[in-house]
Amino acid sequence: MALLRIQGVTKNYEGVKALDQVSFEVKQGTIKGLMGPNGAGKSTLFHLISGIEKPDLGKIFFKEKEITFLKPHEISLMGIGRTFQTLQVWGNMTVVENVMTAMHSRLRGGVLSSGLWLPWIKREEDRAMKEAKEILEFLGLFGRWKWFAGQLSYSEQRILEIGRALGTRPELLLLDEPAAGLTYGEAKDLSERLDQLRKKGITILLIEHHMGMMMEIADEIAVLSNGILIAEGTPEQIRTHPRVIEAYLKRGREGCSESEN
Amino acid sequence: MVEQIHKDFRKRDILYSLALWLLSLILPDPQLHYRSEYRLRWRDLFYLLAILLLPLLFSDPHFHHLMVLAGIHGILALGLTLFLGYAGQISLGHAAFFGIGTYTTAILTTRHGWPPFLAFWASGIVASIFAYLIGKPLLKLKGYFLALATLGFGEIFLVLIKESASFTGGVIGIFGIPWFSIAGFVFDTYLKQYYLVWIVLIGLVLFTKNLIRSKVGRAYMAVATTEDATSSVGIHVSRIKLEAFMVGAFYAGLAGSLFACVMSTATPETFSLNLSVLIVMMVILGGMGNLYGPIVGALILTWLIDTLAQYQDYSLPLYGVILILLLIFFPDGLGTRLRVRLIYLISYWGRKKRREKVNL
Repeated sequence: MALLRIQGVTKNYEGVKALDQVSFEVKQGTIKGLMGPNGAGKSTLFHLISGIEKPDLGKIFFKEKEITFLKPHEISLMGIGRTFQTLQVWGNMTVVENVMTAMHSRLRGGVLSSGLWLPWIKREEDRAMKEAKEILEFLGLFGRWKWFAGQLSYSEQRILEIGRALGTRPELLLLDEPAAGLTYGEAKDLSERLDQLRKKGITILLIEHHMGMMMEIADEIAVLSNGILIAEGTPEQIRTHPRVIEAYLKRGREGCSESEN
Repeated sequence: MVEQIHKDFRKRDILYSLALWLLSLILPDPQLHYRSEYRLRWRDLFYLLAILLLPLLFSDPHFHHLMVLAGIHGILALGLTLFLGYAGQISLGHAAFFGIGTYTTAILTTRHGWPPFLAFWASGIVASIFAYLIGKPLLKLKGYFLALATLGFGEIFLVLIKESASFTGGVIGIFGIPWFSIAGFVFDTYLKQYYLVWIVLIGLVLFTKNLIRSKVGRAYMAVATTEDATSSVGIHVSRIKLEAFMVGAFYAGLAGSLFACVMSTATPETFSLNLSVLIVMMVILGGMGNLYGPIVGALILTWLIDTLAQYQDYSLPLYGVILILLLIFFPDGLGTRLRVRLIYLISYWGRKKRREKVNL
């Protein structure tokens, strides 16, 4: 069953076609990779799915319900969590609070009850704290739970973003280059954890430049180039796909000539 | 020679450490200023005692009156700090909610015979209802545009108050608002009013403290940093902003009600742009994202304005110069980094002395 279905999505930025008639599906319980050279429209697609931007044409379905024009928080409440390519952790909050903030909609309590610190607010806070610590434990950030998120290293902040997305208890996780800036060992740990998440039943859509990791853990890969979906299939099929090779090599050659000029 | 310097160092160092230790007992924790407010400390007991004993040590009625005003300003600034310091949104029309609180109390007590205690709560509620109506459209704006729009709202409110003479008394205002009273106990002296205002302030500080350590405060702080990430975890950003705006207005309404009962008059000049800017100034000077900051800011600015009033024509330029100096030397605000800055200044003074010695 397709958890996420993207149907003919097109997005223009002042005449530049960022995405052109892109359609694909993400099956429940799988890891789908999204590849492509820089500027291929991968992050734009994430923005469209998570509702931060709206497509010009096309529709997006999640669990067979249309989510194309829902607001970002409504989409999140339906069960889509995401991370950002440019880090967006809340640096002035502690690590554990970053994850607890993601549980906002699942915690009871409003202004009045929180301000008066009614007995069940304390219980809710303790519950959230416990769950957040479990998530941090799973991601290997537990030793840092008291730190301010802004004090973490770049790679730890990337992991924390995943933790924050997990705090919303998502069914679909959109990860935008989670391994960027990670060392080989950290990336290895990360792909192991993504594998564990898949076993827990969380579906993942993954943007990654880290080829080895992608080939290793993705069940299926879709390749974008200049906003067009040029290939889709298993890692083995993608590895040898002529158009994929062409897209990457052509991009490389152009890059060389530009730098010479 | 060297031995002499060494001796001087040790003497002075002991003096410094003593001074710093004393400071550290009193002043807010310099680091982790968000977290440090989360639980009560011995320091808070010291503040409480200071607040309770201060008017008994200084029995000058003028001082009492000044502290009443400072307390009311403190409530105002505390409300704004939720919106400005925590949720990171600017409002230059906060005085309007103060005005709404004052006029609600004035009208309810003088014309409808409500007891001040009920009018007090009604003022807060009416102010936050207005905040809801104003905030719904205005809070779609960001940054400078929000600042301008709220500024415009403040001015419109002022004009409305002045023009609708039959309802608000126009330019003259409303007179004869009764003293605040609870169950027959009338707050008719400055000393009693001092305790009234500061106990309300302490209550609101505790309320705010709980608020920011709960999911509500986390959402406010999240909105201030990045809206995209906040909405991506299922938080309704515009609702959170509106909520912070309404809570801030509620505090302002309560402050306005106390002000009406203390002054026993409600006149439009009190709620001009000057007050709005003054509240923002208190929050910035005291330190944003800090609970004690706005109160420190309120105390200092209220005292400063009163003290400078004796210099008449020079008071405004002096006021400006002092504000600029404070912002240069305490860029994070007085409440946030007072201890750090003082330690720095003291040790700077010490280093300078040593350098002079060595140069000799």
